[in-house]
Amino acid sequence: MGDRTPVTVRANQPDHSERIARLVSAARQGSEGALGEIVTELSPLLWQVARAAGLSTSDAEDVLQTVWLRLVAHLDGIHTSAALTGWLVTTTRREAWRVSAAARRQVPADSEVLSALPDGGPGSEEQVIIDDQRRVLWQAIGQLSPRCQKLLRIVAFVPRPDYAAVAAELGMPTGSIGPTRGRCLAKLRVLLAGDLEGSPQ
Amino acid sequence: MTPSDPGGIDRADELLDEVDLELLDGIRHIFQATDPMPADLPERIRFALALRGLEIEVARLAAEEHLPSLAARGAERSRTITFDSDSLTIMIKVDANLDGTVRVDGWLAPPQLREIEMKTSTDSLTVTSDEQGRFAFARVPRGTAQLMVRPEDSGHSGAGRSVVTPALIL
Repeated sequence: MGDRTPVTVRANQPDHSERIARLVSAARQGSEGALGEIVTELSPLLWQVARAAGLSTSDAEDVLQTVWLRLVAHLDGIHTSAALTGWLVTTTRREAWRVSAAARRQVPADSEVLSALPDGGPGSEEQVIIDDQRRVLWQAIGQLSPRCQKLLRIVAFVPRPDYAAVAAELGMPTGSIGPTRGRCLAKLRVLLAGDLEGSPQ
Repeated sequence: MTPSDPGGIDRADELLDEVDLELLDGIRHIFQATDPMPADLPERIRFALALRGLEIEVARLAAEEHLPSLAARGAERSRTITFDSDSLTIMIKVDANLDGTVRVDGWLAPPQLREIEMKTSTDSLTVTSDEQGRFAFARVPRGTAQLMVRPEDSGHSGAGRSVVTPALIL
């Protein structure tokens, strides 16, 4: 168990929720350190939420700052890890919409989900080093629907105990993120299987 | 708003097997590699959050513009940045000084006399706006900075909320 893959370590953090709840409680009482730890832990998720919404990197940075500043005023109503993650994801999406809607920048939302990825053509190896296995995975992701791409991109960064809360915040009734995510993952697995069959090993 | 539903969590988890988890792990690694959060962002956020205990009103970045600098010194440009909050609009113009610091001229709308603090990573500078809402910081060190407009009557508790901007890079 101790030398399992990172995903297992990450997935089976039984004390994740308790730890976050403790940090939230400390932050509410004015602990900058506790608030800072929460920022460190959850900002990577919020970054993906903002970028999946089609924001530029600089807009995403601004939105994250706004979201965290707003959290300070809302900490009193948040007591659990799930509530915190849910509130942060929702607020990030709302702030992202607000920025996108400000017609200053025209951002095609869904088609932009994978825009940050190099196109996989010759030469892209120099841009980003991804091993072959990941390259196959990423090409498969690119064939999914924009909705699946966005969902999996966000879900991949959500601490597992908070899935249900995030599902609710993403507009899917609790429980349905399972089947929805399951469908996206199932499609992905079919795509990957097809790719492996077609490749010379 | 978010019903706590442990059953929902279980149901969601039941649908994932080891392969799914490895795929999600792989997806996370791909996006971490191809679209990483800027490494210094959490630090900037923590900097902006270091104002606990205050009642704050968040001013959002509303517009940013780069103007060719009249000084025409190299690539230096003048920036104007506008922040909006529920009660206040803050507009600032940032120009490079010859000594490597920057000058910040600002306006508050509606115009009013307020105490304005510029927090930098090393220092905290305070000025007061005039009746037209104008204020100026003659020399601000480059780097991370955050503006805070103090409540009108900061001597009395409950007199108002501080308006704070996100941290910006000067």
